[in-house]
Amino acid sequence: MKVLIIEDNQELARNIHDFLGREGYVCESSETLEAAKEKLSLFQYDCILLDIGLPDGSGISLLKHIRAEYKSSNVLIISAKNALDDKIIGLEQGADDYITKPFHLAELHARIRAVYRRKNLDGASVVSFNEISLNTDTFEARVGEVLLDTTPKEFDLLLYFLVNKNRVLSRQAIAAHLWGDYTDNLANFDFVYQHVKNLRRKISQAGGMDYISTVYGLGYKFNSHRAE
Amino acid sequence: MKLTTKLTFWYFGIMLVVLLIGGAIVYYEIQQKLARVEVVRHERLNDIIAEQIRQRGDYSGHPTRKRATITKIPADSMPKGERTFYTRGLEWNPEFQTAEYRLLVTTFYSIKGEHYRVTTYSFIPSFYQLLPGVVNSFQWILLLLLVMVIVSAGLISKYILAPFKRTMRMIQSFDLKQKQGIGLPATRTSEFRELNQFLKKMTEKAQEDYQSLKEFTENASHELQTPTAIIRGKLDLLMESDIRDEQAILIAEMQNALERLSRIHSSLTLLTKLENQEYGANVSVCISLLTRATLDSFGELIEMKSLRLEARIAEKVFVALNPALADLLLSNLVSNAIRHNVGTGGEEGEGLNGGEGGGLGWIMVNLTKEGLVISNSGREPQVPVGELFERFKKGNPGGDSIGIGLAIVRQICDLSRFTVEYFFRDGVHMIAVGFTDQVPASRLLQNLALPLRHVKTVTDRM
Repeated sequence: MKVLIIEDNQELARNIHDFLGREGYVCESSETLEAAKEKLSLFQYDCILLDIGLPDGSGISLLKHIRAEYKSSNVLIISAKNALDDKIIGLEQGADDYITKPFHLAELHARIRAVYRRKNLDGASVVSFNEISLNTDTFEARVGEVLLDTTPKEFDLLLYFLVNKNRVLSRQAIAAHLWGDYTDNLANFDFVYQHVKNLRRKISQAGGMDYISTVYGLGYKFNSHRAE
Repeated sequence: MKLTTKLTFWYFGIMLVVLLIGGAIVYYEIQQKLARVEVVRHERLNDIIAEQIRQRGDYSGHPTRKRATITKIPADSMPKGERTFYTRGLEWNPEFQTAEYRLLVTTFYSIKGEHYRVTTYSFIPSFYQLLPGVVNSFQWILLLLLVMVIVSAGLISKYILAPFKRTMRMIQSFDLKQKQGIGLPATRTSEFRELNQFLKKMTEKAQEDYQSLKEFTENASHELQTPTAIIRGKLDLLMESDIRDEQAILIAEMQNALERLSRIHSSLTLLTKLENQEYGANVSVCISLLTRATLDSFGELIEMKSLRLEARIAEKVFVALNPALADLLLSNLVSNAIRHNVGTGGEEGEGLNGGEGGGLGWIMVNLTKEGLVISNSGREPQVPVGELFERFKKGNPGGDSIGIGLAIVRQICDLSRFTVEYFFRDGVHMIAVGFTDQVPASRLLQNLALPLRHVKTVTDRM
């Protein structure tokens, strides 16, 4: 997948670049609207990560341009402004999703995948890995042929793991993914622990491999190599 | 009372006083004038009589003598200076057989060395006969004035006060959040022009301040969130590298602190936005549906904590509120009830279903047209419950909250003119939100006293 990162903060752009690079994505960055326009005219991107506050203007104006010229690209807005109107304007102008700083990179990745799935796979929205397959339309999780009895949160968690295979997912990142930014609700790690435990139990009961492991002190990891 | 009505009343009051005084003056004047005219007539008559005396004829049957008395008086009785005197008073009028008002004019004459006193009189209209006429005419004047005042007050308020009314309308519709300045109508009245200028200056200043405050909040948010995002990203990347266990612990602790920082920051930004009233567009929100949805989304958390949930949700409760704020309000209230319940107080290590009273916790949600009451079991807070609405006040220091959720709840309630009340007794926390002025939150709490006991007995049995 080709990703264009339009973000004026180099450090942040590099974070995204490094993280997505490890997934095998081809990432390019531009720091200004002008540079971004030039890149867009030369190459085609599957996904555009767009910061709202750029040195030479608002990302919203570029969004209009992208929607008019490059319809096939997915646009994901990255903004520090949690302002409601920004969010609404962004989505109205044709952005596919909106993520607020500070985000976890794994969360960003999950959002990119979700947007990509919605747009490019035309209904065949099944994420699978070995014997595990998830249908993101019907919210059905299967291990082989066995249908898993997952709760919505467990389904969400499994999808999060599958998208971020072989990555350490911190408990904070998981909690933020599952419960969003409910203000003042600090991540309750007991719940994360409980969800992961239940999910592992359900997968192994259905005859699946136990891919999820605990990473000491940090969180959890979905290991694809265990299958080998 | 309207300005024009007030002015009309005042004007009418003043007119009444003026007319009363004026009436008295007119009455007195007419009476004086009448008497004066009579006196002049009688003086002339007296002069004629004196002339008759001088000519020494017999005038006894003459019409001039009909109401005249002529008396010879000694020289020393002659007054010095003034020759004519008159008196008035009620006297019996034999011609009309009634007591009437009589004017008596006496004139002194010296004719050929003799001194005479000539007195003539006549009956004139009395005070009392004049009074009704005066009163009547003044009544008509008063009525006419009243009609004129009312009509002119209407016209004045329509034409003269029109710019003022337009200004009022503009102020009423003025919204600090609007981008353009206030457009006040032009007027030729200098006071109104001054008022408009003042208003224009004031609103511009307010808008500027509001805008800069908003920009500051947004900038602060932007400038702080970006470094936080960088740190978080770096930590995410660092986690993936080959690290030792003790390094993992350090990273985890950093992640925790960062999480807290980011939450505090976004909460404070949110509170500022609420205070700035940046959430406009109140629409009619179906609280019933929203409460159900919120409870659903927290369903798994409630289940995990082994809490009993009892919800009594009235159908079709609509409240004017910004949808995003409604969502925020409900999720804050529900998550608060879950987090500060008995059992897991959030302290790590206590474990799920662990702690004292684990599994005995309950949450009760009661939604009526008047308001929402969320009650839950929980430990006794260590600060007075009223203070829990303040920022960074926590009933349970060291818990996993940052103590700002209820501050947000209160802010939303203040914005929406809801009443909110916190109550704690015997291990029961209750937060009531009253949607209407008629039924404040405190009343909702009283109304709920009965069913609550019922729930407690149910949980006791379990």
